[in-house]
Amino acid sequence: MQNKIPTSKRARGAVVGKAIFKIGVAQSKGVVKRAFMSKKRKEESQKETHEEIAKVIIESLGTLKGISVKIAQQVALGLPFLPKEYLDEISKSFNSIPPINRALIRKIIKQELGAYPQEVYESFDTEAFGAASLGQVHLATLLSEKFAVKVQYPGIAKSIDSDMAVLKFALTRFAKGGNVDHLIEEVQARLHEEVDYEIEADNTEYFYKNLKHDLIVIPEIERQYSTTKVLTSSFLEGRSFKEFLDSNPSQEERNHYAQLIFDSFFIGLYHIQMIHADPNPGNFIFMENKKLGVIDFGCVKKLDDDFLTSFSKLHVSLMDKLPDEEITKQYAELRMIDDDTPKKMLEFYQEVIKPLDRIYIEIFNEDFYDFKENSDFSERGFNIIMEVQKKSITAVHNMNEEYIFVDRTLLGYYAMFEKMEACIDTRFAQRLVRY
Amino acid sequence: MKVSQSAKERTKIKILESAVELMTIKGYKNASLREIAKEAGVSNPTIYNYFPSKEKILYFYIEQKLIETSQILQNIEDFNTYTLREQLQTLIETQLEFYLEDREFVTQIMQMAFTPSMGTMELIYEAKEKFMEMVSEMLEIAIEAEEISEPPFKEYMPQLFWDYNIAVVAYWIKDDSEMFENTTQFIDNSMGVVEALLHSNILQKANDLGLFMFKTHMLSGLQKFSTKQSGFSKIKRKLGEVLNAK
Repeated sequence: MQNKIPTSKRARGAVVGKAIFKIGVAQSKGVVKRAFMSKKRKEESQKETHEEIAKVIIESLGTLKGISVKIAQQVALGLPFLPKEYLDEISKSFNSIPPINRALIRKIIKQELGAYPQEVYESFDTEAFGAASLGQVHLATLLSEKFAVKVQYPGIAKSIDSDMAVLKFALTRFAKGGNVDHLIEEVQARLHEEVDYEIEADNTEYFYKNLKHDLIVIPEIERQYSTTKVLTSSFLEGRSFKEFLDSNPSQEERNHYAQLIFDSFFIGLYHIQMIHADPNPGNFIFMENKKLGVIDFGCVKKLDDDFLTSFSKLHVSLMDKLPDEEITKQYAELRMIDDDTPKKMLEFYQEVIKPLDRIYIEIFNEDFYDFKENSDFSERGFNIIMEVQKKSITAVHNMNEEYIFVDRTLLGYYAMFEKMEACIDTRFAQRLVRY
Repeated sequence: MKVSQSAKERTKIKILESAVELMTIKGYKNASLREIAKEAGVSNPTIYNYFPSKEKILYFYIEQKLIETSQILQNIEDFNTYTLREQLQTLIETQLEFYLEDREFVTQIMQMAFTPSMGTMELIYEAKEKFMEMVSEMLEIAIEAEEISEPPFKEYMPQLFWDYNIAVVAYWIKDDSEMFENTTQFIDNSMGVVEALLHSNILQKANDLGLFMFKTHMLSGLQKFSTKQSGFSKIKRKLGEVLNAK
């Protein structure tokens, strides 16, 4: 049974209110309890509180369904400094988009494209073959060619803002060591873009026209059959990430596909200044003839020259192991560290950022990086984040959204490469970073 | 002159269309049958022949839209593979699609329906036959296909679903969301509840409970009632109890 998704402003307001009220309770409980506790117990109790809060957030987001799944993904993507408990609970909401049944599919297609699916397309498979961001995908044919038709669940676009209000409230109060306001705004903007399939169509076409690589396939959009809520694009036939791994591919194949994913990211970054910022394995199709299909351009990030210059400079400095003072300065230029006394800025860098960029830059230190040998890469990264969480540094610093998006996307890919047990050649990427 | 059945039908629909148009512009109350006849290009006696009163036009409108809805459903190729919920939901959605074309007009009907003295609600209810027929057929098929087990008071289900249908239309009339998205979600979510109810045995269980309560408590209550103890004798007995206790 599906729970009712409240969409009227008042109903949603009530849900948001409920969450905020509950968080208040959960937190004060923790504070009161902790006042009587030893230092040792303190940490544990804080964890309990975090878990309780995370549950409340998820509970409320669960009632708001639909969009929350996407928010959960976006949060996981955009907020690397979040305590694990949040992310664990948030990740539970993955894959819980309400299904669109055949009655509803008929209605949406008729509303959006002016006729019933069987009239619009030569054939239309009423059973969805996959879940997509905020909707589901159906197979259809036009002039005997296969197309993927992505259909959005109604009411999603409206629910973004109230969902984000809950999250913003929760995160600004509990996410330690970071001013998350503008990151939330960034995520919110991303989400608004993502629910507008016309923007996705534009992005897909941009990649289709500009990302030139013989082995990378980007779907073609059928504009006539696309609106803000329905997106028709050519269907890319191939295996999913899981099917690929299950087929027990050779080391060469593993390396090949990981390399394609890795290189296409840097081509996007430096050649066309737009990256596919959703490192979900479901967005890659392992096609025949060594080709890689890239789909779902709902979440992309445009990057300007200024950013790329500072980003490259910083990476070169990191690769060349310049002194911390110099690196701190560059982070400040990237608006990752707020202006303060040089001592305080350096301290923030060394305490909070450095442990993370150490592991991050590891990939570029050699010409080849073998994720099979370094199969604990994401675990180490995670532990470092947890260590940073415990640090007593309380300064609130800005975080550059572009930087976070680029980093998070790369880290997402590394997690995939780890699962693929692939070895990647970093020379091409290094060349691009160094110009 | 003998008029063929289909020509009759066409005239009737022509009158209906003119009526809907006129009533949309002038309001139901202000549009007279005379004007409607003029608009439709038929004589006054003719229109009375088809529709003795304006109410009959409303009745025919609802019926007509249901017939058109039923035709659409019949044309869905794989409709027989739809689940009961999908079938019922398609019925509601398709009917709404027709109503969308005449939203102003339907709004008027609904407003009248919810004004107690007008008697429009009764009229709307008279027009439900076609709807109930369709629903009960869908139910029968779902029971036969063993998608659901036979619910208690099965014969009342179509009636209940018709009430639900009226509620949906009333919601839609008040819906000011973009593309009536709220109504879409309202239908989808409430159909989820309907589906869950029909698939679970909760109706059967509730029925069992009801029967148990009725048999055990109501019946004995009725028996007491039927012994016709007068209030006076009750008081006398109670008094007696009190006295005896002492």
